[in-house]
Amino acid sequence: MPKVTYVEAGGAEHVVDVDPGLSVMEGSILNEVPGIIGLCGGICSCATCHCYIEGEWADRLSAPTEGELAMLERASERKGSSRLGCQVVVTEALDGMVVHLPAHQAIGED
Amino acid sequence: MTVHFDPYDHDTHDNPYPVYRALRDEAPLYYAEPYKVWVLSRYADCSRALRDFKTFTNGQGTAVDVAKEQMPTVLDSDPPTHTRLRHLMSGMFTPEAVQPLEQVVRDMALDLLTPHIANGQLDIIGDFAARLPMAIICKLLGFPREDEDMVRRWTDLVLQRDEATTEMPQHAVDATLKLFEYFERLMTERAGRPARDDLVGHLMASEKEGKLSHQEVLGYLYILSIAGNETTTKLIGNITYQLHRHPDQRALLLNDMAMLPAAIEETLRFDGPTQQMARTVGRDVEMHGRTLKPGDRITMLFISANRDERHYQSAELFDIRRNPRDHLAFGGGLHSCLGAALARLEAKVAMQEILRLMPDFRVDEAGLRRMHSPAVRGYTHVPVEFTPSQGVRLSA
Repeated sequence: MPKVTYVEAGGAEHVVDVDPGLSVMEGSILNEVPGIIGLCGGICSCATCHCYIEGEWADRLSAPTEGELAMLERASERKGSSRLGCQVVVTEALDGMVVHLPAHQAIGED
Repeated sequence: MTVHFDPYDHDTHDNPYPVYRALRDEAPLYYAEPYKVWVLSRYADCSRALRDFKTFTNGQGTAVDVAKEQMPTVLDSDPPTHTRLRHLMSGMFTPEAVQPLEQVVRDMALDLLTPHIANGQLDIIGDFAARLPMAIICKLLGFPREDEDMVRRWTDLVLQRDEATTEMPQHAVDATLKLFEYFERLMTERAGRPARDDLVGHLMASEKEGKLSHQEVLGYLYILSIAGNETTTKLIGNITYQLHRHPDQRALLLNDMAMLPAAIEETLRFDGPTQQMARTVGRDVEMHGRTLKPGDRITMLFISANRDERHYQSAELFDIRRNPRDHLAFGGGLHSCLGAALARLEAKVAMQEILRLMPDFRVDEAGLRRMHSPAVRGYTHVPVEFTPSQGVRLSA
């Protein structure tokens, strides 16, 4: 089973097993890793599973859809490596992937 | 003062908000003795219960009363079953996936509204909002158009509750069985024919591939029929009512229709249709000085959470400029409403057309009628009057 390393903004690392087919958001929630909220439950509607996936791992992912990019507009602390965890599906090829988490998820009022 | 809260009381349904406030202030962990359920009313507590799915579980049902004749569903299940069921559909209900339906929704909305425009009056629910979401979900599911009214009658009966009920009433059980019979008949008819690209076809194929049991297919059709119908109907009615009650907010919106999505979010926060959902405690948990034990039942009052002044400033004020993004009207977390993006799309198109065709509508408050259910709050009749017009059809 693929292992994914979630790194909190403060540096704490969580190495967890994630079933292939689950999203990066589900991998964190089901393993009780803090830092991802997943308010909308994975229908790309809230930007509270914002994360950063960089370098070789980013190269192995399919590009974000227009819907994901539109929702990323809402994320605070957005960077070039920003993704929504609910839209990134974990596969065997992503065994060892490192996912960095932001200090805050976009939540609250405009 | 001792707080008393009864989720089945018809007077409470008329205006639950004062008792919600009393619960938040005086009894944030309230025991509703007749229903053997702990009631959570603060934002922080509801939000925690939604997110901590191992402590607050769905597998033993999410209705306050005891459900009967149920099939397994994505709502009343826990990971990993929940994850498997949700994955079958989650990609089909993103904003991007439902966006292509906008023109279909608009055409249906105009078909329903146009006959009434020259008369200057209609019932927003009976003539319009009760029909629009059902028409769309039936189209997505692949139910024949002529079956819509029949399916809607059954799904209404499934949710309707009398006062002081502790288990699903007979009319709801009968309607549940009618729905299952209907689904079976439809699938038997379709089994011999070429596969069609709709949700029934998708679920039938998933069963064939071994991804779903037959009972899970029936459960999915049941929950999609009910969830795709009742709550969006009530949301459109509640937006209409709140804009009538708050003319300053309607004026803001008419002046800048780009604020419509924010007005929908504010209605969801302030007066969302889904009032509560229940969970079963799966492991010991401390709340407000008490230890809840495995098997204890809790219910989360979502709209009370949404009006919690510990979380929102001036929480009991309806302000469409607020644009709250973290309200709990769709729940939250793994079980968050699968159809939220579709509900938002339908509400947006419905209100665009209502406000374009009848911007000066007035609700006849004497004619308002409410449905009675602990789970869903909203009207069965919202009669409105407005200046008649020719109702020009704009091409989008």
